[in-house]
Amino acid sequence: MTELTLGRVTADRDRLLRLLQQYGVYAGVVVLLLANTVFTPHFLSAENFRTQAVQVAPVLIVALGMALAIGSEGVDLSVGSVMALSTSLISLYLGYGPWIAALAAVIGGIVVGCANGALIAFVGVQPIVATLALMVAGRGLALVLLPQLKDVRDPGMAALGSGDVLGVPYLVLIAAALALVVAFVVRRTTFGRQLLAIGDSRPAARLAGLPVRRVLIIVYVCSGALAAIAGVLATARLTASDPTSLGTLMELSAITAVVVGGTPLSGGRVRIGGTVAGAVLIQLLTTTLIKHDLPPSWTQIAQAVVIVLAVYAARERGKR
Amino acid sequence: MLSVSGLTKTFPGVRALSGVDFTARAGEVHALIGENGAGKSTLIKVLTGVHRPDEGEVTYDGSPVRFATPLQAQHAGISTIYQEVNLVPLMSVARNLFLGREPRGPLGLIDFRRMHREADAALRELGVRVDVRRPLRELGVGVQQMVALARAVSVDARVVIMDEPTSSLEPREVRTLFRVIRMLRERGIAVIYVSHRLDELYEICDAVTVLRDGRVVHTGRMAELERLRLVALMLGREIGEVQGEGLTKFSGGHDAEAEPVLRAEELTVRHELHGVSLSVRPGEVVGLGGLLGSGRSETAKAIAGALPTDSGRVLVAGVPVRPGSTPAAIRAGISLLPEDRKAEGIVPGLSVRENIALAALPGLSRFGLVDEGRIDRIVDTFMKRLRIKAAGPHQKVGELSGGNQQKVLLARWLAMQPKVLLLDEPTRGIDVGAKAEVQKLIDELADDGLGVLLISSDTEELIEGSDRVVVLKDGVVVEELTGDAVTEDRLMRAIATAPAGTGDPDD
Amino acid sequence: MKPTALLRRTSARTLITAGLVTSLALVSGCAKSEDDTGKDKSGTQRGDSGQVVASPSAGSGETCDIAAFGGERTDLKNATVGFSQSEKEANPFRIAETESIKAEADKRGVKLLTANAQSQFSKQISDVQDLIAKGADLLVVAPLNSDGWEPVLQAASAKHIPIITVDRKINATACKDYVSFIGSDFVEQGKRAADQMIEATGGKGEVAILLGTAGNNVTTERTKGFEDRIEEKAPGLKVVFKQTGEFSREKGQSVTENLIQSNPGIAGIYAENDEMGLGAVNALKGAGKKAGDIKIVTVDGTRNAVQGIVDGWISGVVESNPRFGPLAFQTLDTFTKGGKVAQDIVIQDSAYTEDNAEADLGKAY
Repeated sequence: MTELTLGRVTADRDRLLRLLQQYGVYAGVVVLLLANTVFTPHFLSAENFRTQAVQVAPVLIVALGMALAIGSEGVDLSVGSVMALSTSLISLYLGYGPWIAALAAVIGGIVVGCANGALIAFVGVQPIVATLALMVAGRGLALVLLPQLKDVRDPGMAALGSGDVLGVPYLVLIAAALALVVAFVVRRTTFGRQLLAIGDSRPAARLAGLPVRRVLIIVYVCSGALAAIAGVLATARLTASDPTSLGTLMELSAITAVVVGGTPLSGGRVRIGGTVAGAVLIQLLTTTLIKHDLPPSWTQIAQAVVIVLAVYAARERGKR
Repeated sequence: MLSVSGLTKTFPGVRALSGVDFTARAGEVHALIGENGAGKSTLIKVLTGVHRPDEGEVTYDGSPVRFATPLQAQHAGISTIYQEVNLVPLMSVARNLFLGREPRGPLGLIDFRRMHREADAALRELGVRVDVRRPLRELGVGVQQMVALARAVSVDARVVIMDEPTSSLEPREVRTLFRVIRMLRERGIAVIYVSHRLDELYEICDAVTVLRDGRVVHTGRMAELERLRLVALMLGREIGEVQGEGLTKFSGGHDAEAEPVLRAEELTVRHELHGVSLSVRPGEVVGLGGLLGSGRSETAKAIAGALPTDSGRVLVAGVPVRPGSTPAAIRAGISLLPEDRKAEGIVPGLSVRENIALAALPGLSRFGLVDEGRIDRIVDTFMKRLRIKAAGPHQKVGELSGGNQQKVLLARWLAMQPKVLLLDEPTRGIDVGAKAEVQKLIDELADDGLGVLLISSDTEELIEGSDRVVVLKDGVVVEELTGDAVTEDRLMRAIATAPAGTGDPDD
Repeated sequence: MKPTALLRRTSARTLITAGLVTSLALVSGCAKSEDDTGKDKSGTQRGDSGQVVASPSAGSGETCDIAAFGGERTDLKNATVGFSQSEKEANPFRIAETESIKAEADKRGVKLLTANAQSQFSKQISDVQDLIAKGADLLVVAPLNSDGWEPVLQAASAKHIPIITVDRKINATACKDYVSFIGSDFVEQGKRAADQMIEATGGKGEVAILLGTAGNNVTTERTKGFEDRIEEKAPGLKVVFKQTGEFSREKGQSVTENLIQSNPGIAGIYAENDEMGLGAVNALKGAGKKAGDIKIVTVDGTRNAVQGIVDGWISGVVESNPRFGPLAFQTLDTFTKGGKVAQDIVIQDSAYTEDNAEADLGKAY
């Protein structure tokens, strides 16, 4: 079916680009899945799909928040540091039990989100600068709270990390649920509509009387909270709090997933389905190269190629 | 000194200049005036080498020239001072003055002492005393303008083009500027002066060229051109021309007895408005008249809370509105259709439906969830009522024609059930058919009891559409035309003859 | 003119600021972390935790004494020693290293001044200059970089202050700019890890390597030692998979999860540090493997990894000894008394296997 569609549109470059931008990411996922099925031994197994899904879950959750930030014509670079802060807070509060610890971690993420949002909405700092500041400060704070890796022995956390319902790991269930919630928020709530309007044309949104500041703060609070949840899940999976390395370069992976998924960096549009597919695409790409024992630098190059393709498609379409 | 003849320049879809002849002579200040879109800026850009003419010839110092780049024009001695100062704010005054031609010492290093000395001397000559080592951005706009001017003069310019140089100056600074301009004139420099402030033009300019729709409609001595005639030329109307009804779709004549629904009192915005007061009654269309830069859009924005005011207040149905807040103004029932429809009005990437529902969204939601059914009904109602032509409610607004975009914006505000509509150039850039439709709509809305404040550069539209016209000049209300006095003639007279503001209104 | 608007805005800002401050206070105020056995670590061990010289002090290598270096004999007891640490004590290695220096100074009753460069080289340079200014007679430096020590070396040699560098060499002349270097041989560590792997797997099968961070000399040397020794001693073992785990547990776990699915027959995994090894253990547990199904050999010797041997998940751990204290002070002592010390001192790294893990758990850092 894909062949047929492709054949028809080669004549029309514009439509091809539109298709590439909207569905390219899904096609990419399908191609990688097929290629792996043929070329990678033991790829078609429930166990393997489970592994891939579990590994992609934290990236996906962070990418959901990033999609909101990018949709508002911003970006959140602090997500990786929020994950680190989250893992430190878990370790610090685990004495009260896993629920309280997870709550503390999420509150930490919300606080960082508030700081980001306040800097952007009230002080008027560029999102990239504001969140860069919090990226540095967040990691620093995480290391002050917990200077080194610490094991997490709590059975509740361990169960969260490795347990499942009918063979579907909790991590995957949570990520899927969050993706549905965020998609619903973007499509069906006032907040979602206002977010898109603000991302598309801020002067128009302001003159239309939209609560621009409030919406921006909520965007960054959501992004912070989602990153913190990703931090909780990553901690549970690792059964350790590792603030030094947890979440490093996470912001890049998340931005990549969002952009590859067809959400334009210029804002005004949020594609949650595409973001999910984008995260999966990058996971599969990495996994393919690892399973075939290709040099790690290839992964980075392959990611770069995918990003360039995605941005190219978006840019070409934008010009028309 | 610098002249053009038969100049024609076409942009895709627009003929910006056609057959323009213009001559700037040495030792003469030449006013270049015209309303928006008359072709002033295009002409300046051709003179300074930004654009190349399609046809026609530029003659400089007696021989034909073609400047390929602005830099070439600069080197030839043509300097331009723009409205926004284009200098480097972080560098010192002296460095800005000598940017790119700093005096060098024996090692090729900048000779700072000499540079500071010369910069100081150059500014003193213009009557400006500042520490030339200070970064430019620490100084006021007026001084920055002086630095730009000093720079223009010090590069041995022979032609100086000034584009609205006084728009952000204090009266005292304007005096200094004029002194400098006179000095330039005495030195035999040709000055081309672009401004909308009539009083300034008559004070400083020797010659005048009026542009309209890309053509020269008048050129001659400034002193020989009557004010009223000048205004008429700019607006493209004849004095005393009898107006027949029916050229526009306005019916005119609304109820003028009721209590005002909107009252603006003494609105003041630094450099823009000086104590503007006006009122609009339900069912009344009040026009805001005046030339470009007279403060019409600023008045509308100040009323809508989109431009922070320094003093003054706005009342809707007798209740004061919190100033400086768009949401508060909207809640009070004030809706603004902004002048720059594309940048400030529509959200181009969203659909017709989302654009219409945008402002009313909180009212169309329950617990933050959008009530799609109600939106569909409202969108459907307004798309029919305003006859919005789109492929459907889900087409992107950015893809619609200007007229339909304007209707979508109208629908957005009508969905809020406003008490007052502020319409800033509602028919600009709209094709004739849609224009008539929009005009008819405005009429209908007023009939329905809305108070409408109408801003239009189309004098005919303004006069026919309005029950009353408040005339602004340099940010001051100079006259209010009512009843039979609402004529183009009276409007032009008000613009032309009224004295400028009351000296030094703010501070 | 806009008192209400201003007030509102200010109050929103104040609220947010107050919120931030309160939450920070909360964070530090009522934290209660999970109790774990790590807490009593510093109390129980440290008994037999010194280092042994691997290469003999007066053997093949060049030596140095105070006559050759310049300066006067002193008694270490009356001297002040300055210690400059390169990175924040945020990992077990650095913590153990600093603690070892402090403990040995305490034991010998030597006055010790310390500084930490927090991974900033310029800070380390000024740290050392400060230590000299504060009256350090002898210096122990854990350098962040090998290059760029010129200013410090000049200041030190003007005052005839002997310097010993630990765990990383500096590019300068031994016995002239500094006295000795004490450190590990990473290639050797790789070889010994290979020995353990050969023993654990019986020298047959396919093995995987979890590489450290790319471009790091520790990574290259530990890889080289391992591969050389496998090639030399056990042609039956084949390295079929080399991927980076970036020295982190999380990456080690992710990579291993993929590894055991695509290469289910893998016999052993060599992790170039303990953290990646522990990540691999996590992955094996998650995949339902049993302890010992796949042999894991790691390098470093942290307590968690040694515990892994006791639990049966890890087959062997090669130690990379961070406890430079005793050896450093012994070297300084000998040197200040006028004796000969080697210019390159390679420390003896011990190793943990099933045989000694339980008994030596206390020695692990």
